[in-house]
Amino acid sequence: MSTVDDPPERLEFLQGTLEVLVLRSLAGEPNHAYGISQFLERQSNRAFAVDNGSLYPALQRLLQRGWITAEWGKTPNGRRARYYTLTRAGREQLAEATSRWERFVEAMGLILVPEG
Amino acid sequence: MPPGLRVWWSRVRGLLGRRALERDVADEVRSHLEMLIEDHVAEGMTPAEARTRARREFGNQLATRDRALDSWRFARLESLVRDLRHGLRGIRRAPAFSAVILLTLALGIGATTAIFSVVYTVLLRPLPYPEPDRLVWIGESAGTADGISVTWGNLLAWEAQSGSFEMMAAYARGANRTLTGEGEPRVTSGWVVSHDFFPLTGWRAAAGRLFTEADDRSGAPPTIVLTHSFWQSALGGADAVGRLLTLDGSAYEVIGVLEPGVEFLDPQVDFYLPTGLFFSGAADRTRHGSIRVVARLAEGRSVEEAKADLDGILARLARADPGPEDDHRAYVLPLSTVVRGDLGSTLWLLMGAVGLVLVLACANVASLLLGRSVVRRREMAIRSAIGAGRGRLVGQLLTETLALAGLGGIVGVGLAHLGLAWLVARGPWGVARLADVAMDMPLLLFAAGLTVLVGLISGTAPVLTRRADVVAALKEGSPSAGAGRAGQRLRGTLVVGEVAITVVLVFASTLLVRSLVTARSAGPGFDVGRLLALELRLPAGTYPSADSRRQFYETLVSRLESHTWVESASAVGCPPTWGDCGDWWYSIVGRPPPARSEVPVGLFDVAQPGAFAVLGVPLRAGREFGPRDRAGPPVAIVNETLASRWWPSPADAIGASIKIGGPYQDGSVVEIVGVVADASQTSPDVPARPEYWLPFASDPHGRMTVLVRTQGEPGAAIPAVRRLVSDLDPTLPVWSLRSFDDVVAGTLATRRFSTWLLTLFAVLALILAAVGVYGVLQQWVSARRSEIAIRMALGAGRSSIFGWVGLHACTLVGVGLGLGLALALGASRWLGAVVFGVSPRDPITLALVVLGVILLAAGAAGLPLTRAIGVDAGRELRRT
Repeated sequence: MSTVDDPPERLEFLQGTLEVLVLRSLAGEPNHAYGISQFLERQSNRAFAVDNGSLYPALQRLLQRGWITAEWGKTPNGRRARYYTLTRAGREQLAEATSRWERFVEAMGLILVPEG
Repeated sequence: MPPGLRVWWSRVRGLLGRRALERDVADEVRSHLEMLIEDHVAEGMTPAEARTRARREFGNQLATRDRALDSWRFARLESLVRDLRHGLRGIRRAPAFSAVILLTLALGIGATTAIFSVVYTVLLRPLPYPEPDRLVWIGESAGTADGISVTWGNLLAWEAQSGSFEMMAAYARGANRTLTGEGEPRVTSGWVVSHDFFPLTGWRAAAGRLFTEADDRSGAPPTIVLTHSFWQSALGGADAVGRLLTLDGSAYEVIGVLEPGVEFLDPQVDFYLPTGLFFSGAADRTRHGSIRVVARLAEGRSVEEAKADLDGILARLARADPGPEDDHRAYVLPLSTVVRGDLGSTLWLLMGAVGLVLVLACANVASLLLGRSVVRRREMAIRSAIGAGRGRLVGQLLTETLALAGLGGIVGVGLAHLGLAWLVARGPWGVARLADVAMDMPLLLFAAGLTVLVGLISGTAPVLTRRADVVAALKEGSPSAGAGRAGQRLRGTLVVGEVAITVVLVFASTLLVRSLVTARSAGPGFDVGRLLALELRLPAGTYPSADSRRQFYETLVSRLESHTWVESASAVGCPPTWGDCGDWWYSIVGRPPPARSEVPVGLFDVAQPGAFAVLGVPLRAGREFGPRDRAGPPVAIVNETLASRWWPSPADAIGASIKIGGPYQDGSVVEIVGVVADASQTSPDVPARPEYWLPFASDPHGRMTVLVRTQGEPGAAIPAVRRLVSDLDPTLPVWSLRSFDDVVAGTLATRRFSTWLLTLFAVLALILAAVGVYGVLQQWVSARRSEIAIRMALGAGRSSIFGWVGLHACTLVGVGLGLGLALALGASRWLGAVVFGVSPRDPITLALVVLGVILLAAGAAGLPLTRAIGVDAGRELRRT
């Protein structure tokens, strides 16, 4: 039970969901904004429709916190695109957020889906 | 860097690199769209279809870009800038209103900053020596005398045995010498210091070296360290180290020149001599020279602990070797107390007064802004209705006021700068530290802090009365009718406060003016007209014997008297208004001897025959000194204060004897032959102390002041007096030659100056309060025009309207007056220290203040009253 007596933290996590998902999408390799939104839609079986009006500010916030860096590069098709890369701090942040999310889901599950 | 700080920093960079950011985001959005289009074309759409589709899918490009950039901004800062622009526009829209506010604030801030600069420089700024908080000044105290000189014996014992100090240095002022061989002979003044004096003050040599321990030992060679300014003025800045200077006929080798711009207690020191020249090596505990001690406390020691330590050493010495000074104790003061002198009470009084003026200025500005906020209610209500939050509106109002205050502060600092120049030039401070007062960082910070504070305080009032009555404000037809009742009440309260503060200031300044008048009419106690004071110091080199000194002065006086332009002439050591030139114990022969700690102290001096007649100090009993006193039995003259302490009438003192030095010191017994009236020893507003004189002939000083009563204008006689002196001794410099008029006028200078300044503040307060009363009444009347019209329509005459409005005015002023009088009487306790000759609760003063404030109120209320009775009932009622 001790894992769920910290409501403000949980709330913040929920609010920052998109940012965590962006971090996750960059865990494998650097990507550009279009690539990130495609990744998120694909991975969620299109349950998420990513709104660019939220994605772009989220990317800027992550840049400001130093969790990702941005660099102009070339796509496989030779097009100029801005690629985002996860930094070490970003990777740590992702690990922490993931574990928090897992504890959160577990706790929610215990309450919402009673055993038996 | 923690993420919070990193975000903040990124915004700072964002401010600078805004353009690059914008470009990046725009390029990114474009490339995103192109990739979408590409994918759609690959799915089989026509390029046109693909483009439309991509645009739709992407969403609002512009909003996306803006929102992405938003996170790089200081939202608050930018709205602040917007408010500031709005505020400045508001200032331009109402120029007269803004000018009044600006001027009020500038005066308040400027005056406060100027006075604070003086207070800071004289009283608060740390002393310019290393570890200033640990520096102390040490003298001895015995019975009723504090701060007397320290004997070598005691100093040596302290240095050897005390653990309370890191360093101790001896100094003696007044080593005055006549410099010859460098052009005209000139009087120079030096100090004698032990070698630790320089490390204590942190001074370094600009050339050569400073004293070392060897220079403290008796038999040290005659060396001298020059101050930078003396080196410049006497030697023209030429290479000085190793040169010989002739002082009082003896040669001293210059070993060093001090760095420029340093001073300790006395700005006019020309040179420093080593203690070894004067210290005989004998550690006699009772031989007083004129040395005092400056020392640095050991880390963590308090002044009290150090004093207890020194007292313990003195007590041990007394037990080991009993002597006449066994009751002597150490007298230890923080050095800052000694340096700052007695200007404290005057300065804090002025600071308090100027602070009150500032409060008045704030109150007036608050009141003006309140008045205006009534007019702006609709603007605010509309802004509130279209969604501006309460915090946002409050922020805007405060920003506007702060913008005004900021401008006021800038003008105020300019005013302070001018005022300060004036204060330094005209102020009779006698405080050397004031010369280097400047609007430097701490003072500018003070002014800036003050400005923000003033802006916040005066800006808060309009905010306080702002309630969320948007609907009411929008519904009301006229901006004045019934509106801002809360504001009116607050303004009323402010005016009551203003009147109260004004009463306090006017009361204090009236008391000071009356003190000044009393002090002036009390007079110095002697006749200052046509009287010259010629100060001379005979060098010991040319006048080694008592006889030679006596002869010089007697010849000079008789030569002066032989001229027709001289009415009379004589000499004393220390004339009236010269200050404390030295005091000593005495006791009355035949009375029970006082306890050691009770031995009375009196100022003591020498006088030539006829000195009191020349001064015009009346003789109360007995006679003056005469020529026969040179050889006859030892005699003395005492002043009335001394005589009245011991005898019922002056005549009873004649024939009695006093013992110089009291029962516990060596000294002769002298017979009182005369009692003279009290004359001001320092200034007319300082009560006289007991004083006694011995005949000059019995103790011929080299340092005397020759008194010359001229027949005509004294200024015209000055060249002739100088010529007489140089005829007698061409190598003798004139120490000073002044008319007593100037000296006596100077004695009241500080009082006159502070009185003047306080009166200025009181007048400022009166003006501010008058503006305040006027503004509030005016507003009150214009808010009640319809009410007045209705009353008139119902048959009220002009006199009844006059009475109604007048009653309101009287209530405001009356409450303020009552409050102010209560405060003034409360404050009179602190005024006691600066008031002279009148009671701090003087009823005449109170009556004058009440009268003045009532006159002020009547003047300020006049116009609003006329407006009230001038209301045209018919037109006013048709208008509504």
